Amino acid sequence: MNPYILTILLFAMGLGTTITFASSHWLLAWMGLEINTLAILPLMCQSHHPRAVEATIKYFLTQATAAAMLLFASITNAWITGQWNLEFMSYSLPTTLVTVALALKIGLAPLHAWMPEVLQGLDLTTGLILSTWQKLAPFCLLLQINPSNTSLLLILGLASTLVGGWGGLNQNQLRKILAYSSIAHLGWMILVLQFFPSLTLLTLLMYFVMTFSLFISFKVNNSTTINSLSMSWSKTPIISSMVPFILLSLGGLPPLSGFMPKWLILQELTKQSLAPLATLAALSALLSLYFYLRISYAMTLTMSPNTLLNALPWRLPSNQHTLPLAITTSLTICLLPLTPAITALLTL
Amino acid sequence: MMYMMYFLLFGLVLGLAAVASNPSPYFAALGLVVVAGIGCGVLIWHGGSFLSLILFLIYLGGMLVVFAYSAALAAEPYPEGWGSWPVLGLMLGYLLGVVSVGMLFSSSMYDESWMVCDEFGEFYFVRGDMEGVATLYSSGGFMLAMGVWVLLVTLFVVLELTRGMSRGTLRAV
Repeated sequence: MNPYILTILLFAMGLGTTITFASSHWLLAWMGLEINTLAILPLMCQSHHPRAVEATIKYFLTQATAAAMLLFASITNAWITGQWNLEFMSYSLPTTLVTVALALKIGLAPLHAWMPEVLQGLDLTTGLILSTWQKLAPFCLLLQINPSNTSLLLILGLASTLVGGWGGLNQNQLRKILAYSSIAHLGWMILVLQFFPSLTLLTLLMYFVMTFSLFISFKVNNSTTINSLSMSWSKTPIISSMVPFILLSLGGLPPLSGFMPKWLILQELTKQSLAPLATLAALSALLSLYFYLRISYAMTLTMSPNTLLNALPWRLPSNQHTLPLAITTSLTICLLPLTPAITALLTL
Repeated sequence: MMYMMYFLLFGLVLGLAAVASNPSPYFAALGLVVVAGIGCGVLIWHGGSFLSLILFLIYLGGMLVVFAYSAALAAEPYPEGWGSWPVLGLMLGYLLGVVSVGMLFSSSMYDESWMVCDEFGEFYFVRGDMEGVATLYSSGGFMLAMGVWVLLVTLFVVLELTRGMSRGTLRAV
């Protein structure tokens, strides 16, 4: 793409998120979300491949529907209460509509169906932007509205963790697995939203770091299926040895940093006397763990039949910039001992 | 006066059902023209005369005209309207659905008046909608500039999405 156009589009994406972050008026928040949707569309169909164009259209339709629902809810709120402020929504109908609209925006179950199909049609970098940056603005709004109904958010959260687990079980396309992993993590974030919002932010940021590592690892290997990961041990042996840790961190196993958000969320849910819900959520994390383990099995733990199995074949050094990957991988693996400091920082 | 309001609102629902039920863009856009026109009428009755004029000019006179031209160039050779039974059935189904949901949620047609009164006690020199547009240009100047910039970005986005014509995203006509 023309570098000037790319600059303008990336700037517009930053602008949209910034506008939503800075807004306390519903119209402004809606405007920021629409700018974000608008600016990512050409990035998504850069290759002009029919599959990418299909993914772009599906993304546009779902995001436009969600934004229209958001606008409808905020106008209904303005009609009933006479004011447009984000934090003072006190009637249940607009608040519920806003929650459902934002759930469609980020891809929570049962409004998740677009996510795997859209991510499958994109290349890994654009998919990364979709999974991370595009979630910031809706979460900012979700954190600010006070929920009308306790059980709505809990149902969305639990359904997302279960759907994210079960949906990813039979996949061998990496982008679909990443989509279901995203859905599951979003479910964990929503579960604790009304009790301890700082934990939602913590989970979101930890998820960004972990999924960034995974996306970039797959990009370095230039692979989009589990099968093509099987020879990565000979191309990039160090990355191949680190990816199981990234995957297990995504699965939430101690002593990796992915355990931190899950631990704190389970603790908070138990304190709110929702222990059965906490148990169900923890059990649903087992489902996700299965497909994370399957990827690490294919990539690192086994060597697939190939011509050379004994020694590392001679390869040219690659020119890929892997410094961000190194940083985020270290963060994904080693951050758990800093839990008290991070909790203190986020509850400021 | 209330009869006029009834007429406008019924026409609105009819037009919306037409937009939703027609598979061909010609008739759907015709329904959209009717809906926009009637919506402007309803807006006038509620006191937003300036906004109604702007809506008529820009939406109908600008965007729908461009849509009509592009639809005439590129849309279907055998359009289906209300003449065919499936479309008519769909339209009647939508009308039935709307009427039943409306009757479910409202008490009766004659309890409340559908006409709107001004909420001010006396006549005001500045109407609400013109005051709002003036505020958009004065206090809301920064956001207006943001809106202008986003329109320019929209132009770039559309040009980028449709680059390459039939080799790219657009269907070869």
